[in-house]
Amino acid sequence: MTQAPSSGGILIEGLRKVYGQGDTAVEALKNVNMTVGPGEVVGLVGPSGSGKSTLLKCLGAIIEPTSGRMTLGNELIYDNGWTTSDLRALRRDRIGFVFQAPYLIPFLDVTDNVALLPMLAGVPNAEARRRALELLTALDVAHRAKAEPSQLSGGEQQRVSIARALANRPPVILADEPTAPLDSERALAVMRILNQMAQQAQTAIIVVTHDEKIIPTFKRIYHIRDGQTVEEAGEGRALL
Amino acid sequence: MKRNPLLIRRLALGVLALALLGALAFVALRTGPLAPTRVTVAAVQQGRLSPAIFGIGTVEARRSWMIGPTVAGRVLSVKVDVGDTVQAGQLLAEMDPVDLDQRLAALDAALARTASTQAAAQAQVADATARRALAAVNAKRNQDLAAQNFISAGALEARLQEKASADAALQAAQANLSGAGQDVMRQRAERAALAQQRGNVRLLAPADGVVTSRDAEAGSTVVAGQPVLRLVDPASLWVRLRVDQGRSAGLATGLKASIVLRSQPRTPLAGQVARVELLADSVTEERIAQVTFDAAAPASVGELAEVTLQLPETPTALLLHNASIQRQQGQAGVWRLDGGKPVFAPVQLGAYSLDGQVQVLNGVKAGDEVVVYSQKALRAGSRVQVVDALVKGQSGPAGATP
Amino acid sequence: MISLAGRDIAHSWGKFVLTGLGLGLLIGVTLTMAGVYRGMVDDAQALLTNSRADLWVVQKDTQGPYAESSSLKDDVVRSVRGMPGVAQAANVTYFTMQVSNDDGGETRAMVVGIEPDGPGAPGYLVAGRQLTRSHYEAVADIKAGFALGQRIRIRRHDYRVVGLTQRMVSSGGDPMVFIALKDAQEAQFLKDNDAIVNDRTRTANNPAFNRPGVPGLLDAVQALQTSSRNVNAVLVQLAPGFEAEQVAEPIRRWKHLAVFTRAGMEEILVAKLIATSAKQIGMFLAILAVVSAAIVAFIIYTMTLGKIREIAVLKLIGTRNRTIAGMILQQALGLGLIGFVVGKVAATVWAPVFPKYVLLLTQDALTGLGATLLICALASTLAIRAALNVDPATAIG
Repeated sequence: MTQAPSSGGILIEGLRKVYGQGDTAVEALKNVNMTVGPGEVVGLVGPSGSGKSTLLKCLGAIIEPTSGRMTLGNELIYDNGWTTSDLRALRRDRIGFVFQAPYLIPFLDVTDNVALLPMLAGVPNAEARRRALELLTALDVAHRAKAEPSQLSGGEQQRVSIARALANRPPVILADEPTAPLDSERALAVMRILNQMAQQAQTAIIVVTHDEKIIPTFKRIYHIRDGQTVEEAGEGRALL
Repeated sequence: MKRNPLLIRRLALGVLALALLGALAFVALRTGPLAPTRVTVAAVQQGRLSPAIFGIGTVEARRSWMIGPTVAGRVLSVKVDVGDTVQAGQLLAEMDPVDLDQRLAALDAALARTASTQAAAQAQVADATARRALAAVNAKRNQDLAAQNFISAGALEARLQEKASADAALQAAQANLSGAGQDVMRQRAERAALAQQRGNVRLLAPADGVVTSRDAEAGSTVVAGQPVLRLVDPASLWVRLRVDQGRSAGLATGLKASIVLRSQPRTPLAGQVARVELLADSVTEERIAQVTFDAAAPASVGELAEVTLQLPETPTALLLHNASIQRQQGQAGVWRLDGGKPVFAPVQLGAYSLDGQVQVLNGVKAGDEVVVYSQKALRAGSRVQVVDALVKGQSGPAGATP
Repeated sequence: MISLAGRDIAHSWGKFVLTGLGLGLLIGVTLTMAGVYRGMVDDAQALLTNSRADLWVVQKDTQGPYAESSSLKDDVVRSVRGMPGVAQAANVTYFTMQVSNDDGGETRAMVVGIEPDGPGAPGYLVAGRQLTRSHYEAVADIKAGFALGQRIRIRRHDYRVVGLTQRMVSSGGDPMVFIALKDAQEAQFLKDNDAIVNDRTRTANNPAFNRPGVPGLLDAVQALQTSSRNVNAVLVQLAPGFEAEQVAEPIRRWKHLAVFTRAGMEEILVAKLIATSAKQIGMFLAILAVVSAAIVAFIIYTMTLGKIREIAVLKLIGTRNRTIAGMILQQALGLGLIGFVVGKVAATVWAPVFPKYVLLLTQDALTGLGATLLICALASTLAIRAALNVDPATAIG
């Protein structure tokens, strides 16, 4: 049973995505229902080919679903059609992305990598950099603020990319296999940070993963198979 | 805290960019059309000039002769060859006398004949004298007889007539004699004339000299006036000098000359101007002068020579280098530097020397700085930059070649 | 907002600078080619300006004396002097020939026969002095490589170099050597000794000229054959207050000569003489422009492709297409700017080394700058298209 969150968070109702037409049509998402509250960190687990990448792309306003409803925070962004014309601004301001690889811009230093999104949103450079430094401090990479991405270790880069996702204070963060290349200690560290940030900023975080190391940390998990989701309560193992 | 490598890099790039822009500015201002023109200057100074006149000429012989016959004829023999030195009166060549000798012989015979005729006339005179004497005596006797009436009047008249006839006969004989004498003289004169002609076929040297050309050989036919030989007096060589009319001021006889023969370019010979011709060459716009050598010169007739005539030194005046002289619309002037900018100052020029100095009569003052050499043509107000020399090694007009 | 293009350039500056250097040399070559053309036109202008003449009087129906050969009698100048509006008129001969110096080397030069102080004589020197003697002195241009005091040989005579000039060249770029008019007439029109002896023999064998009854006839005829009374042109300077055409027209009509004003001579030299070379240079410039455009396009495209992952990420996280396109365009323009500066400096440095005169004008540089930036902008469109077509979804799995 779905329940609309009081404020923030994600609500997906009856999302459907069909690729192609006619005989070659493929129904990647059949009837997806998800809800994530602000401050929640939810796992999205499923085998490859189950449609989780498609779901992520729909959530990230990268591809257009075929039908359904999506609400981001208080804003209905999709109702059988995009409700806003500027998807880019949506991605920039309302959604944060954390990728498998850090994908930092190599020719910007760490601070500017994080401050880029606010700057693109029109925030003055000094203010954007200040905000970036705050985030970097919170993520304990402030000592690398002036370094180039190539000089950082893998874990440091990942933390910087998380900071970048948070820089514009989006209500939602989509993380795509963020712990795949990491060992268990580092993976748990990343999950710890995500949970901290979610709490602090009341951000709703969806983590797509099939990493066995972190699945136990989720309180709620959505399993997706053949384009359908099933909610399940997770272990909710504590991270300290 | 370690320095931010990014900052260093940015700094380095900035410096590089500035350097590049600086180079651009440098080339734009220094070498392009915006750059100032480089010039050298010299101050106008007082000085004296030694002007000179320069011209080229050919060596000619002052005295030369063409030896040839006065009537057409055939050359019998030529006795001398090119290069021979001959004395005055020496036999150089002979023409063929043809029939002159025979005609002389004929005249000789005629002369003898007239002598004979004269002798005959002489005898006739003697004969007539004798008859006259007889007739006179007879007439006297008969007159005496007639006075005594011993003979008739008719007989006396006959005797008187005989006397008159005898007188007349004597006169006739005497006239005959003088006629014969004149005949003799006439024949003699004719013979002398023919002998003169006979002498003419011998061509003699009119003066000492050297044979320069042998134009006809024995057996060739020449007409009157055509030379068989040409003679030259080697001591009379001089240079026929041609001087541009526009640059011949001061040309006068007596000027000392320095002659450089084409065959001896390194040893100038001394000479002096012997004559300035009254007739100049209007086609080539040159004046002609004759310059003699002071000492006998080993030159060939027709050889080219360069002659420099030294004129007297001018009084002290303002001097300029002739590279400073510009001409605008026919007016001569110089570029005078006035406050660092060139100004065209018209000048009036006077004498000039062969090493490039020119007198200035008016237009500039002593001490004025005038532009001597410039990289480009100047205009009033051009930007200029004064340097020591425009060409390496040439330090200005002081180093100019004479 | 920071400049993404600036950051990218600063980050991989070595690649950029090297590319800029390469592009710069190409641009330098282009600028130099344009400079060669300008130099040719300037050579023609310099030739006309340095002769200090307002009118050129040449043989009727020719376009001489530079483009065609023209021959006049040297007393024509006297009748031209008398025409109204003529301040100065002087004979002049032009003849391109080999001049040898005393160590055996030969230089190709244009030997100019001048009357000193008249039009045609060099107006300014850089060393030495003007001609003062009427024979056997020469003023040479620096480009010929002669030194003051050196003896050079022109035909039969040795001349001493007494003055040096700069930028006195023929329209073909050959340096000029100024000598007295009479010497030049002899050099141009008098044949070599063998030919003279041959002519003398032919004349002597002709019974019309070799008459025994007229002793001086043969010598007179032979002297006539070896005298040179021709010049190539008469240069005229106008008196103040007279127009060129006003003075030229009576000379054309009454003296039966061809007269050209400065404008006419410029047209002959620039439009006709230089036309073929101008076309060649124009084609070369076009090719160079195309090559430069292709190179810039390739470089920018390659650089963009190398950033395709970052561009996908940027698009994904919400960067506008405009910003990304602007970054690529700025990089292309920056490359063009670096290339242009390098090219301009290089062209200025190596221009004096060229055997022909290379004239680099500011307006050409500005045109080149504009063209470079335009070409770079156009060349970047390929890369921009590629960048805009990137699917941001590729950043995710």
